[in-house]
Amino acid sequence: MVNLTIDGRAIQAEEGITILKAAQAHGISIPFLCYHPAIKAIGSCRICVVEVKPGPPRPSPACTTKVAEGMEVTTNSERIQNIRRELVKFMLVNHPLDCPWCDKGGECELQNLTHELGVAEVDYEAVRKPINNDFDSMLIERYNTRCVTCGRCVHVCQERVGASAINFENRAYFTDLGSGQQPLNCEFCGTCIEVCPVGALINKLFKYSARCWEMTGTRTICQFCGGGCDYMVDVKDGKVLRVRRDEENPLLCLRGRFGFGVLDAPERLKTPLIKKGGQFVEASWDDALEFAAQGLMQVMAKSGPSAIYGVGSPRATNESNYLFQKFFRVVLGTNQIDNPARYNYLKALEGIAQVFGMPEVAGVNPEPLKFPKPFHSSLTLEEGAKGKGFPFVLGDSGTLKAADVVLVIGADVTPEMPPYGWQLMEALQNENFRLIVANPRKTKYDRYAHAKLRYKPGTERALLNGLMEAILDEKSGHTPYLEAAGFEEFTESLRQTPMKDVKEMTGVMVGDIREAAKILANAQAPAIIFGNDLLAQASGKENAIAVANLFLLIGQPGNPGSGLYPIAEKNNTHGVCDMGVLPNMLPGYQPLAAGSPFGKLWNKTLNITPGFTLEEALSRVESNAVTAPQAFYIMGGDLVRQAPNSKRVLSILQKAKFMVVQGAFMTEVAKLADVILPVNIHAEVNGTYTNTDGRLGQLKAAVGGNGAKPGWQIIAALSRKLDYPMEYYSAEDIFKEMSGGVSLYAGIKDGYRWPCPTIAAQIKGNFVPVSIAAEIPGEGPFTLIVGKSAGHSGSYTTWAQGPMTIMGSQVLKINPEDAGGLDIAEGDEVTVQSAQGSIAVKASLNQAMPPGVVFLADHFTDPMANTVTLNSNLCRVTIQKG
Amino acid sequence: MIIPLLKGLGTTFKAILSKPLTIQYPEVKRPVSERFRGRPELQLHDNGKVKCVACTLCKTVCPSQAITVIEPKEGTYGEKYPVEFVIDLTRCIFCGFCQEACPKAAIALNKEYELAQYDKKMLIYDIEMLKTKG
Repeated sequence: MVNLTIDGRAIQAEEGITILKAAQAHGISIPFLCYHPAIKAIGSCRICVVEVKPGPPRPSPACTTKVAEGMEVTTNSERIQNIRRELVKFMLVNHPLDCPWCDKGGECELQNLTHELGVAEVDYEAVRKPINNDFDSMLIERYNTRCVTCGRCVHVCQERVGASAINFENRAYFTDLGSGQQPLNCEFCGTCIEVCPVGALINKLFKYSARCWEMTGTRTICQFCGGGCDYMVDVKDGKVLRVRRDEENPLLCLRGRFGFGVLDAPERLKTPLIKKGGQFVEASWDDALEFAAQGLMQVMAKSGPSAIYGVGSPRATNESNYLFQKFFRVVLGTNQIDNPARYNYLKALEGIAQVFGMPEVAGVNPEPLKFPKPFHSSLTLEEGAKGKGFPFVLGDSGTLKAADVVLVIGADVTPEMPPYGWQLMEALQNENFRLIVANPRKTKYDRYAHAKLRYKPGTERALLNGLMEAILDEKSGHTPYLEAAGFEEFTESLRQTPMKDVKEMTGVMVGDIREAAKILANAQAPAIIFGNDLLAQASGKENAIAVANLFLLIGQPGNPGSGLYPIAEKNNTHGVCDMGVLPNMLPGYQPLAAGSPFGKLWNKTLNITPGFTLEEALSRVESNAVTAPQAFYIMGGDLVRQAPNSKRVLSILQKAKFMVVQGAFMTEVAKLADVILPVNIHAEVNGTYTNTDGRLGQLKAAVGGNGAKPGWQIIAALSRKLDYPMEYYSAEDIFKEMSGGVSLYAGIKDGYRWPCPTIAAQIKGNFVPVSIAAEIPGEGPFTLIVGKSAGHSGSYTTWAQGPMTIMGSQVLKINPEDAGGLDIAEGDEVTVQSAQGSIAVKASLNQAMPPGVVFLADHFTDPMANTVTLNSNLCRVTIQKG
Repeated sequence: MIIPLLKGLGTTFKAILSKPLTIQYPEVKRPVSERFRGRPELQLHDNGKVKCVACTLCKTVCPSQAITVIEPKEGTYGEKYPVEFVIDLTRCIFCGFCQEACPKAAIALNKEYELAQYDKKMLIYDIEMLKTKG
């Protein structure tokens, strides 16, 4: 701590912070323009100058000058104010008086500064800067005349986003913002718009739609990826007009910032629909619910409750999902439920659980609180609560930046989980940080990686095997930091594959593997990020086990940042699993057993026969098994589009005798339904989401219902029709009931991660050897990877204007040399064919693709990428022109 | 006693000789003061386009919330202009704040004061009515 005085006030400040931060902490305001808390101080605008004694005779910028013992700072002497006024006048020489129609008007920092300093007139004249506006860019307009060249956008794009898409052009007085003499074409995360102090960068979707003071902001949680960013939706007249984050952290991604159009997309379902004679007819809520209840009852009367199969939704709130599984377990009395995370994220959880065990928490007060605060767990923790199992090795995205080594394997971070990408950018500020990127394709973070491993698709386990082997070679006598069983046997099983075989299988040089292993072996807080590319494979679970083995070998979960970071695809993919929408587990991953707290909570003898997994259920329907489900109640997840082999899934679901779909859009699955119940989505509902690392985020309704209803209300109403009244008044009620039975949630609330950080973790693991043989179904010269693209999230964003402007249709990414060999040019129509089917798609030549590998995104229905896949996101295909 | 009577008569005679003051309203209309505040009117450029840029400052400043709708749109050259502009004259108090706040001198109170209507709905002026000269 150092002592100093600011404007005569004695102040104590932490050593090493700047005068500006010290003043802000004590409520002394110093005006500034180029400074922004999200980026390193730039010190270019000089508005924040203060007089410092002892110090140079000239004023010093408060944003870059550090506090020192005995310093005397004057923030607003006459001289300082005069300097500030002159500086603002210099900026105003060129600044157009666009304020009446500039979108920034009312929240413009230059406007505020002009008022604050009382600058009424500009008594300077200068040559006008030439106009160099960019109106052609897809989502972000640039007005160079309004720019005050503070550099915030340039720095945020470089330091935090990592895109470096915008920079200064020209020099001195003629300095201009630019994107290389052509329209801005970047990730379109829009962070630059948010940090711009003036209206030089304008959001095209928001442009001219409202003045800032006409809107009311509601803080809620983003609805797209598993990152669960909290953001503000600005609403005017019941319509969301823009999305922004906050001053401290302005980062959002393309879909987060520009994807809010899903809310009032014209395709949104607004009234319940009943299928009559192959056509959907609009119906009243009562009729539709009655129809759904009758249909389910008929199937149940004929074939028993286990003939009804439920699919939960990774988009719905925790409360809706909890009620959904309660509906099946209590009202129908069956465990025939599962959720679409089965195809990716659940494999990660199951794999990690095999190595680190299922969760157990001891030391929870058995009596739930009678009146917990809204969205606070009703269970509390006793002193010295202990826990074990896989949740304790899952990393905290808030501390990922503290990790000293991050291995990204089988994940394209930016499309799958932008928040992890921003954390990596922050970690990269630390010079001791090391990043290893392993992916068959070139991804954005390759340019920042200290080691790159470009392996052949599907050989993740072989690569991980090689890495572990090399780590043991690097550090002889290495033993895991955690308590681990089966280490000796595991080491031997590793040695069975010599490094040259690993090289043969993966196509990665032994030297590269050893280099990466050297970094990993010396890591103090290693983190492993892995995602869809690796998990969506048929052997995704084995891949996850291999990753967990590596973490058991080198991981030190006690150190901040060290952990496993599986990527959840959707906003509540983690939550839907937590809520027990699983055939074999109750909420909170509790085993299906007679003594479960939920038996008491629900006042019901639970059926403890596990149900079928989604895949088991589908194959039983396919083979017309006696036990095959007859009816489906699908809450979310466009299975036809998302699950591998679309034609098969479509033909299976067509066999269903009765199908209830609860959704927001007419997806491929909804088209098969007998009754569709339209549901409210994120900014229309209250409730909670659980993000990829287990953090609870609270949703607040910002706009009206649009004719649809919140998911939990629909389930409760349907339950009433089936003579089992579920009386809940709000989502809080449901959360309270749920949290009373889930010890894993004890002590947590909005913004907290489960398990509660006060639980002492006792992590034990056992090495699980896995086979490393790679297998890609099908035949053909090319390997197709079906994955995610940065603009979209599931099929959801294909209904929103913003993301569709950036990526409006499916393209096949192909290596230019491969394309040359097939005589394919950019934009040519090509046919991708496998034994399962073929699709016609436009080709896009992309250097990021290695030879022999092509890529399709799974968001679009026309054409559907999964038409060609078999049981995995990888598939061998043939490609033809035309 | 007679003197006040004569004074009164004197005044009467003076008035008899002067021009009568009565204005035959509504046939004849009295000119109003330069500073008179009648109904708000949207000002036009020479080419007939509204000067308004839909900045909504008038709507924000209006103390009686008489300006109810200003719907902006983007023009061909990136300019902002209103496609709808509604003033509820039943609420308007003719204070002139809108005129004061307007950065483009696009709204001004004209001298029209004959605003009585049988139907209140007639007093909700849309953009076309507001553009008409009063």
